[in-house]
Amino acid sequence: MDCYTANWNPLGDSAFYRKYELYSMDWDLKEELRDCLVAAAPYGGPIALLRNPWRKEKPASVRPVLDIYSASGMPLASLPWKSGPVVSLGWSAEEELLCVQEDGVVLVYGLHGDFRRHFSMGNEVLQNRVLDARIFHTEFGSGVAILTGAHRFTLSANVGDLKLRRMPEVPGLQSAPSCWTTLCQDRVAHVLLAVGPDLYLLDHAACSTVTPPGLAPGVSSFLQMAVSFTYRHLALFTDTGYIWMGTASLKEKLCEFNCNIRAPPKQMVWCSRPRSKEKAVVVAWEKRLMVVGDAPESIQFVLDEDSYLVPELDGVRIFSRSTHEFLHEVPVASEEIFKIASMAPGALLLEAQKEYEKESQKADEYLREIQELGQLTQAVQQCIEAAGHEHRPDMQKSLLRAASFGKCFLDRFPPDGFVRMCQDLRVLNAIRDYHIGIPLTYSQYKQLTIQVLLDRLVLRRLYPLAIQICEYLRLPEVQGVSRILAHWACYKVQQKDVSDEDVARAINQKLGDTPGVSYSDIAARAYGCGRTELAIKLLEYEPRSGEQVPLLLKMKRSKLALSKAIESGDTDLVFTVLLHLKNELNRGDFFMTLRNQPMALSLYRQFCKHQELETLKDLYNQDDNHQELGSFHIRASYAAEERIEGRVAALQTAADAFYKAKNEFAAKATEDQMRLLRLQRRLEDELGGQFLDLSLHDTVTTLILGGHNKRAEQLARDFRIPDKRLWWLKLTALAALEDWEELEKFSKSKKSPIGYLPFVEICMKQHNKYEAKKYASRVGPEQKVKALLLVGDVAQAADVAIERRNEAELSLVLSHCTGATDGVTADKIQRARAQAQKK
Amino acid sequence: MAFHHRPDAPELPDFSMLKRLARDQLIYLLEQLPGKKDLFIEADLMSPLDRIASVSILKRGRERHREKHQSAASCTPCTGDMPASKQHEVDKLYKVENKPVLSSSEQLCFLVRPRIKNMRYIANLVNADKLAGRTRKYKVIFSPQKFYACEMVLEEEGIYGDVSCDEWAFSLLPLDVDLLSMELPEFFRDYFLEGDQRWINTVAQALHLLSTLYGPFPNCYGIGRCAKMSHELWRNLEEEEDGETKGRKPEIGHIFLLDRDVDFVTALCSQVVYEGLVDDTFRIKCGSVDFGPEVTSSDRSLKVLLNADDKVFHEIRNEHFSNVFGFLSQKARNLQAQYDRRRGMDIKQMKNFVSQELKGLKQEHRLLSLHIGACESIMKKKTKQNFQELIKTEHALLEGFSIRDSTSYIEEHIDRQVSPIESLRLMCLLSITENGLIPKDYRSLKTQYLQSYGSEHLLTFSNLRRAGLLTEQAPGDTLTAVESKVSKLVTDKAAGKITDAFSSLAKRSNFRAISKKLNLIPRVDGEYDLKVPRDMAYVFSGAYVPLSCRVIEQVLERRSWQGLEEVLRLLNCSELAFTGGTKDDKAPSESLRLILVVFLGGCTFSEISALRFLGREKGFRFIFLTTAITNSARLMEAMSEVKA
Repeated sequence: MDCYTANWNPLGDSAFYRKYELYSMDWDLKEELRDCLVAAAPYGGPIALLRNPWRKEKPASVRPVLDIYSASGMPLASLPWKSGPVVSLGWSAEEELLCVQEDGVVLVYGLHGDFRRHFSMGNEVLQNRVLDARIFHTEFGSGVAILTGAHRFTLSANVGDLKLRRMPEVPGLQSAPSCWTTLCQDRVAHVLLAVGPDLYLLDHAACSTVTPPGLAPGVSSFLQMAVSFTYRHLALFTDTGYIWMGTASLKEKLCEFNCNIRAPPKQMVWCSRPRSKEKAVVVAWEKRLMVVGDAPESIQFVLDEDSYLVPELDGVRIFSRSTHEFLHEVPVASEEIFKIASMAPGALLLEAQKEYEKESQKADEYLREIQELGQLTQAVQQCIEAAGHEHRPDMQKSLLRAASFGKCFLDRFPPDGFVRMCQDLRVLNAIRDYHIGIPLTYSQYKQLTIQVLLDRLVLRRLYPLAIQICEYLRLPEVQGVSRILAHWACYKVQQKDVSDEDVARAINQKLGDTPGVSYSDIAARAYGCGRTELAIKLLEYEPRSGEQVPLLLKMKRSKLALSKAIESGDTDLVFTVLLHLKNELNRGDFFMTLRNQPMALSLYRQFCKHQELETLKDLYNQDDNHQELGSFHIRASYAAEERIEGRVAALQTAADAFYKAKNEFAAKATEDQMRLLRLQRRLEDELGGQFLDLSLHDTVTTLILGGHNKRAEQLARDFRIPDKRLWWLKLTALAALEDWEELEKFSKSKKSPIGYLPFVEICMKQHNKYEAKKYASRVGPEQKVKALLLVGDVAQAADVAIERRNEAELSLVLSHCTGATDGVTADKIQRARAQAQKK
Repeated sequence: MAFHHRPDAPELPDFSMLKRLARDQLIYLLEQLPGKKDLFIEADLMSPLDRIASVSILKRGRERHREKHQSAASCTPCTGDMPASKQHEVDKLYKVENKPVLSSSEQLCFLVRPRIKNMRYIANLVNADKLAGRTRKYKVIFSPQKFYACEMVLEEEGIYGDVSCDEWAFSLLPLDVDLLSMELPEFFRDYFLEGDQRWINTVAQALHLLSTLYGPFPNCYGIGRCAKMSHELWRNLEEEEDGETKGRKPEIGHIFLLDRDVDFVTALCSQVVYEGLVDDTFRIKCGSVDFGPEVTSSDRSLKVLLNADDKVFHEIRNEHFSNVFGFLSQKARNLQAQYDRRRGMDIKQMKNFVSQELKGLKQEHRLLSLHIGACESIMKKKTKQNFQELIKTEHALLEGFSIRDSTSYIEEHIDRQVSPIESLRLMCLLSITENGLIPKDYRSLKTQYLQSYGSEHLLTFSNLRRAGLLTEQAPGDTLTAVESKVSKLVTDKAAGKITDAFSSLAKRSNFRAISKKLNLIPRVDGEYDLKVPRDMAYVFSGAYVPLSCRVIEQVLERRSWQGLEEVLRLLNCSELAFTGGTKDDKAPSESLRLILVVFLGGCTFSEISALRFLGREKGFRFIFLTTAITNSARLMEAMSEVKA
């Protein structure tokens, strides 16, 4: 155990710092790091090197090369730099490489050296050139801050949503600041700069001078400043070799240290753990690395090689040509367990487990000791926690084994924490692997979340690993596997050397019907790469036809889109496509397309009926649908036309159409209507009154009611009104007029085709019993009983019924017999009935 | 004599939740437009709205506004209680109608059906404001959903940017404990005549809502093209939102979807069950009816809610009309007896009587006199129209004897101009039962009709022909050709020509053969006892078992379409019948006796009564979901072309 803490270095009384190797780099650098622009992304991100920067002495003929490596030094991309001189490199939060050129243009590259986009930092920057630039991270994303040749600052807090802000001028600034940094306070980015002995803070509106409290006297210039990972703390390095550490608000001093080295350090970064009381800064010179904090002594390391510091959430990464190391404050749990002669429960448990493995009874002693103190739970938890902070799998294992051992002696210890730590460590060990090269610590991993980690794996095109992790952690498919497969598919469609068929098949084989995978998204990507055919093939796999339509429209496959829309059953979607088609095709083609899609056609017809009547007509014309065309004109004759001539003309067109449709009936009826209309018009002119739009029947009735019997008869003849109708009509009209004389005359004009019962009925309706009786006698035998009953002659009705020996009629009469008056008749019927039955 | 369910009949699910859902959503939508506003409501939405939210909920609870509202929109229902707690700041209510708008509010909210006509109304209003240099806020709430075509019109009229649009997904109105209506009467014409499928999505959404609220349906049957499409769309919706209904216990064991065009005959018959007769005579609108002075025997009309809460109505609604009078007079005697108990009561008993029973008795008394009034009014009207003759003709048509006499009867009906809608109905009934009219009758009846009721009905005939309601018999040999063509087209799904096939080619109705196959005309020895019905035929005086109900009965008995292939062929539905569902073995047996019947295109009260009867006989409970309540007159009106 003693050797385990060999690399622990105490700083002051309470904290230890340790440095361990993450990787030995075999990236085979030809150049020294100092000859390169270097950018390393936090959270174990990639490293970008731009060799041959624009140094005066270098010959211009050698083209600089931009290399991107994983944190373990595996090459990810290498490309010759073809653009202008670069001042600074940096990684965005999305792991995009931002290259700030001298002219203020920022070029954005992907992890694999693929060019994404570029943007300019504005005219002012272009004119004055870029002197220095920083990429910084805020909660909104990644920002760029630029110091121009005119000693002015321009910054954008989020490159994703570019808003340039020019910071106010520092009064009397003649030369470039000796050092500067961006701060982020209250969600606003500021710039802190040092000019000689003065510090200035630039915010949106103003420039203010600030003085760090408790700063040692005698400072004539600041050589370096460093802001912590979380923007909470600030460190200043002065020309007197003095380091001031305090809050970033410059309101409070934490501690100070005098290192007595006046040479300007190459880099200075904070090294602190979240929630730790210890604050320390790592300062690097050419050959020396120093960790200083609130302690009279510092920790010193010798640097054999040119090194580069990368601040992390919970420590500092240090890489050089040959190694990649991590320096951090030893976490509490580890300290408790591994500190020499520690009696912490975790330490005892670890010891106990080791003895147990050795089959020594000491195991029991240790265990008892912990249990006596009642600290077993705490011990197990300590071991679990410490395991998380160990980089070496064998240490992780021995700690976890200890935890597992301890657990056995506990009732109801919730297993989740242990299980989760095992899972997390497994994931961490997998991604820390040399080939993957993401050296995340446990704290960083928790801060980053598994989702972001998966995104980063996807970004590195490590799809199988990402999927394995999802499956291992049993993430829901939609968040996990499906999403990754979709990303994979989007990458796959960009492989231009593979044929459309192969890509589509490969994608379908992998994705199948995985829930949450949107084939249309993948197809959209394929279309974005100019592979329309592939996009269509991919869309075929999309189960929701509604999803296929928008992309098909975008790809100008409108007819296919139409059939897909119809398949979806969503009429709105069909309508969208229709309008698209209408604008895209000429009218003829549009109608032809409709013709093959009845569902769409009826939808469009419905719309036209209300909104575009003329189009409706054209539609019918196109289809040679004469029947509907005829109906259309008939409707127009009622709705659209006011004048008689117009209406007749519309009807004529309708009649022609009906003839074409071989619908003679409709044609004839329409022609009759034309005749009637003209006639009605004439009647109105000659007789006055309202005739237009009456039916033929009503026209004749109106004529009779007006006393124009001749005209009425003429009309009846002209329009061949059948006898029966005419009789009904006249009967009703004359009765309404109560013209009984004329009615009688009419009844005698010839034998009634409707019989005489209606005469009786109608007279009774007008309460004229006298007239009714006249007709009752003329009613034929079949209906005589009914007629007699109608006029109230029950006795005679009974006689007739008896004579006719009709059972139904007999009961009918009987039902009309009321009490006393018809008693005799009733008896008569009963007798007749009895007689009939006898026979 | 009233309908009493078997003791083992399952309980109905509580559908009042649907009302609450709709109301809460509407209030939420109104609150999206904060501040005072005037609300314009489409006439068709007023009654449904009235059923779920009282005006007081929409308005401020102050007396002043109440007066204003009554003067501004007398058409709007106004209910008495006005809790001041809920304020959604609707100032005035207007009906959407073609009248100039006199609203002075700064915010206008429109609650409309997604119709192009309404869009133009709104556009005119907004554009008039623009001309006058007035700026107001406009919000359009579409119910039950918004259609792209509507937004298109708003855009064409240049006001798309001026209005904000929202959807009020109010598609299921519980009219009664066992009756849900979508209140979409236009569904029938849109789909069955115009071939417009846009409402199918609404149906699918409604079914989806039901399955989310009341669990999945383990068994599903359907017949008809629209039923099939709705079912498919609905399944897609369920699949998209996988998991939500999973694990839920089904409350309703069966669902049956049925297209109206599978059975036009039943819908075309005169109704003789009390509720149906009231609908035919007075028109039940959204579950309530306006009884005129002739019924109320006062000088005022009275709006009466007709549902299971009306104890008198509940007992007579499903009865054949001939029994109703007897029942009511018996009831009246009982009531009198109860009143009479007062005599000989001591003070204490009297106090009890007054405080506990009197109110109920009075209420019953009121209802009783109303229904007696309604009965009298119906009797009067029906004797005037020679109802007996009419029913006799209908029965003759259904049974298929003395067709000649029936044709003459119809002819006379037309000649005498009895009623355009009635004449049309009889013609259609003749056509469907006879597989189309013979060419001579087809021409002559149409000619007569045009002469009587005006030649614009040429369009009506064209519509009826397209819908297959009034057709001409084709000569024998071509029929089979047509038939084979139809069946070929039906199988050729990809071509998508289905709609054309069914709209343009006259289908044979085959009513006679179906009737024989399914035994729709019961053989009766002697009088059919309408007091003690023995089958569903009682809803048509024992003359005819409703085809739709018989099909449902048969399928439920078999739990599939097996053995009904011949019937399906005759119904031209061989390809359009399906079974499905979530085959859940854990479905509680209670639920398996609850059956949801979905009528696409409307159902009649006679069908509802018939199925309620069937349910009682077999220990089922039926729940009805219809696009709208319909009857013969509504069907005919939907097909009629009236002059604009």
